[in-house]
Amino acid sequence: MSNTTSDDSLITTEVQADSNDDRAAPAAGTAVAARDLDVFYGDEQAIDDVTMEIPEKRVTALIGPSGCGKSTFLRCINRMNDMIEICRVEGDVEFGGKNVYDGDVDPVALRRKIGMVFQKPNPFPKSIRDNVAYGLKIQGFDGDVDARVEESLKGAALWDEVKDQLDSSGLELSGGQQQRLCIARAIAPDPEVILMDEPTSALDPVAASKIEDLIDDLAEEYTVIIVTHNMQQAARISDRTAVFLTGGELVEYDDTAKIFEDPEEQRVEDYITGKFG
Amino acid sequence: MATDNANADGFGEVSRVRGIVFEYLSLGASVFGLVALGVLLVYVAIDAFDLANASPEWLLTYFLTLVVPFLAFCLYSADDAAVTRRALGALGGGLVAVAALFTAIEALVVPIPRLNWQLAYLFVVAAPVTAYLAYVGSGGRVGAVGFGLLGRLVGGVAVGLAAGTLFLVFDPLLWFLAYTLGVLPAVGLYALGRLRSSPRAQTATVPVGLVGLVAAAFLREVVATYPSDLLIYLWTIAIPVAAAGALLVGDRRGRTAAVAVGGAPLVVATAGGFLASSAGLPAPTVLLVLVLTGVPTAVYVSRVVDAGEGLAGLGLPFLLAGGVIAGALVVQTFGFPTPEPWLDGSFLTAAPSRTPTDAGLYPAIVGSVIIIALVAVLSFALGVGTSVFLEEYTPGTGPLGTLTRILQVNVANLAAVPSVVYGLLGLGLFANLLGLGIGTAVTAALTLSLLILPITIISAQEAIRSVPDDLRRGSDAMGATRWQTTKNVVLPEAMPGILTGTILALGRAIGETAPLIMIGAATTVFRAPDSLFSRFSAMPMQIYTWAGFPQADFRYGVVAAGVITLLIILVGMNGTAILLRNRAERGS
Ligand SMILES: Nc1ncnc2c1ncn2[C@@H]1O[C@H](COP(=O)(O)OP(=O)(O)OP(=O)(O)O)[C@@H](O)[C@H]1O
Ligand SMILES: [Mg+2]
Repeated sequence: MSNTTSDDSLITTEVQADSNDDRAAPAAGTAVAARDLDVFYGDEQAIDDVTMEIPEKRVTALIGPSGCGKSTFLRCINRMNDMIEICRVEGDVEFGGKNVYDGDVDPVALRRKIGMVFQKPNPFPKSIRDNVAYGLKIQGFDGDVDARVEESLKGAALWDEVKDQLDSSGLELSGGQQQRLCIARAIAPDPEVILMDEPTSALDPVAASKIEDLIDDLAEEYTVIIVTHNMQQAARISDRTAVFLTGGELVEYDDTAKIFEDPEEQRVEDYITGKFG
Repeated sequence: MATDNANADGFGEVSRVRGIVFEYLSLGASVFGLVALGVLLVYVAIDAFDLANASPEWLLTYFLTLVVPFLAFCLYSADDAAVTRRALGALGGGLVAVAALFTAIEALVVPIPRLNWQLAYLFVVAAPVTAYLAYVGSGGRVGAVGFGLLGRLVGGVAVGLAAGTLFLVFDPLLWFLAYTLGVLPAVGLYALGRLRSSPRAQTATVPVGLVGLVAAAFLREVVATYPSDLLIYLWTIAIPVAAAGALLVGDRRGRTAAVAVGGAPLVVATAGGFLASSAGLPAPTVLLVLVLTGVPTAVYVSRVVDAGEGLAGLGLPFLLAGGVIAGALVVQTFGFPTPEPWLDGSFLTAAPSRTPTDAGLYPAIVGSVIIIALVAVLSFALGVGTSVFLEEYTPGTGPLGTLTRILQVNVANLAAVPSVVYGLLGLGLFANLLGLGIGTAVTAALTLSLLILPITIISAQEAIRSVPDDLRRGSDAMGATRWQTTKNVVLPEAMPGILTGTILALGRAIGETAPLIMIGAATTVFRAPDSLFSRFSAMPMQIYTWAGFPQADFRYGVVAAGVITLLIILVGMNGTAILLRNRAERGS
């Protein structure tokens, strides 16, 4: 069943195949798993009984129409929902085999293992070096900070552009550079999982494609979970795709190629081809 | 077709009369207020400096030796023909206009008291033009260097005097122990941690410092022999300041320059201190002033020389000093009648007296400086602490949230409580209940801190609230604790705003009289306070008292001198604080 009913082709199959080649072979272990997860804001349900397993060292994309709960799901993983007072979470989110909502889990310690990149680049009003070293500083990292800063900036494909201005403010960079700085900041403490909430939606296509390349590289070492509204982007960079639809329901979750080429659900096909959503 | 016709007639007009009327009315009101204040200050200044008795020759001499060279310096720095033309036009045209207008008013309408047209010219034309040219000139490289150097000289003297004043009250021996046992090891550890980039050494800084401070407090009574005051200041302030200056320069210019920049002022200051003590001057203050002026100046000069730009600006202090000396020489040679200002050196260093000419403000200045220093520290710490608690730590819902909201509303109300009421509170709570004593400096400082606390809290809250939530979430997501987020992200961002609020509030505190009267502060004391528990008077109290004296000399001359002193200290303090704030702003 072909889904190329809309005029712009959504699938760039070659790219897809490429990225899958890189990290093909043995089935990866599970990094994060949600079991019967419900999330409420007050009385309103934002996530409805979601169960899914997210493989480690893969890129998993979350797509779906606005307001369907993608960001909410992402925030459940590092418990950033705790900051929202009216938010209530039921069910389990397992990370490293442990339910992060267990009473004995310290959310602050949890977040040190899970990096997060936001939609709008939010570097701190500090020098580039201090931005990247922030996580190391608060965690009391006792090693060579400068080496780690360099390594992280290289990992975020930013080193060559900023290596001569590490002491200038992070706010002096362009939007795309700021976002890569935020990625460098997130990977500096060497987390296991990186959550990205629409990391390229505020960027121009060139800057966005740089970040897409970067995400591809990041998946060699980290589990990447990315929310995106850009269907081509999801198709290009992700290994697995989860489609949420309004009401916080996880409608389909499968290999990216399958979702884009031959989804099981009619609703998913309609959404992907732009018939609704 | 229809639209064509409408357009042919234009688009019609929308009335803007009301907006324009409102605009000009509010502009007029604020201009009126400012002009009224300006006229008052002119008269106060005339009284304080006895300018009414200044002969035209005297004014002309100083205008030529001091003002004109300064203006020339600014124009040279601005290096802009248009500005030069405009300035000369304003000075010349202003001269004709003021002279003509003044004579006309005196002849035809009413005589203007205690002013002549030369003075009017000085205040109405010369002073604004000078201020404008100083502003324009400081934009040029030469001017920036000149004003930078001047600022360091004046600032160093002011900080040195303030520090010397504070040590009149705070125990230098305790400071000596605290510095040696606490501050020095802590700073050393921190530097070591930085150098070796080992956070462990850096985290040890605070505990080590605290242990040192506690040990100092214990040992204060145990240790019997101490070095002399001069040696204590040399060890605890002069040497560190010189070392800091040397380090700053040494990074870029190598060892010799570092030794010169740190060592030369240190030697001069030490020599000055010992000379002063044999001459009967307060040696520690001389030492502090010299070292706090010398080191920053030396660092600055070395930087300017390094940059190699605007070197001519370094001559500005000499230009001004030369102008004063030349003016004095001319006035003396030709015997021009000289005004006898009320506000002179002896006014600032003498105690109050029954005779107007001997009266001085010194004890009240010391009292005010001490109180303000305490108030600044207390209200800043309390204000920041409370606002961080209210903004960052309390939830919006639940019983604690309700409590916070009640607190919030009450803080806002407290800001509106009259200051006399705070005076009453201070009297009851601090003076009587806590037994800190009636009319003592601590009681006054605590009362005034309480008085401005609501203002500091509200403005600090405002500043904290304006820190974007994005930054907090970013820090939280990195796994920062609430405190780490507050300390590393929120407070640095909010600091400029917090400082602005605190500066404004302090300005209010320094001028308050009513609460001081309520807590029984003395109207006049003849000796500067020497401990936190001694009786004191503050500048506004003393000025108020003088204003009630029967002799006219007191009510005009001495009061005016006091007011000008108060204003200069206030402006200086605010200026310093604003500079610090701008630094903080640029730093982030
Ligand atoms: N802080 C909040 N308080 C109350 N309701 C919220 C909050 N955040 C999200 N919601 C609600 O939860 C639902 C899901 O929101 P969420 O932000 O997760 O959607 P999303 O899929 O990320 O949307 P988008 O693609 O527009 O970012 C929405 O109905 C939204 O109104
Ligand atoms: Mg979202």
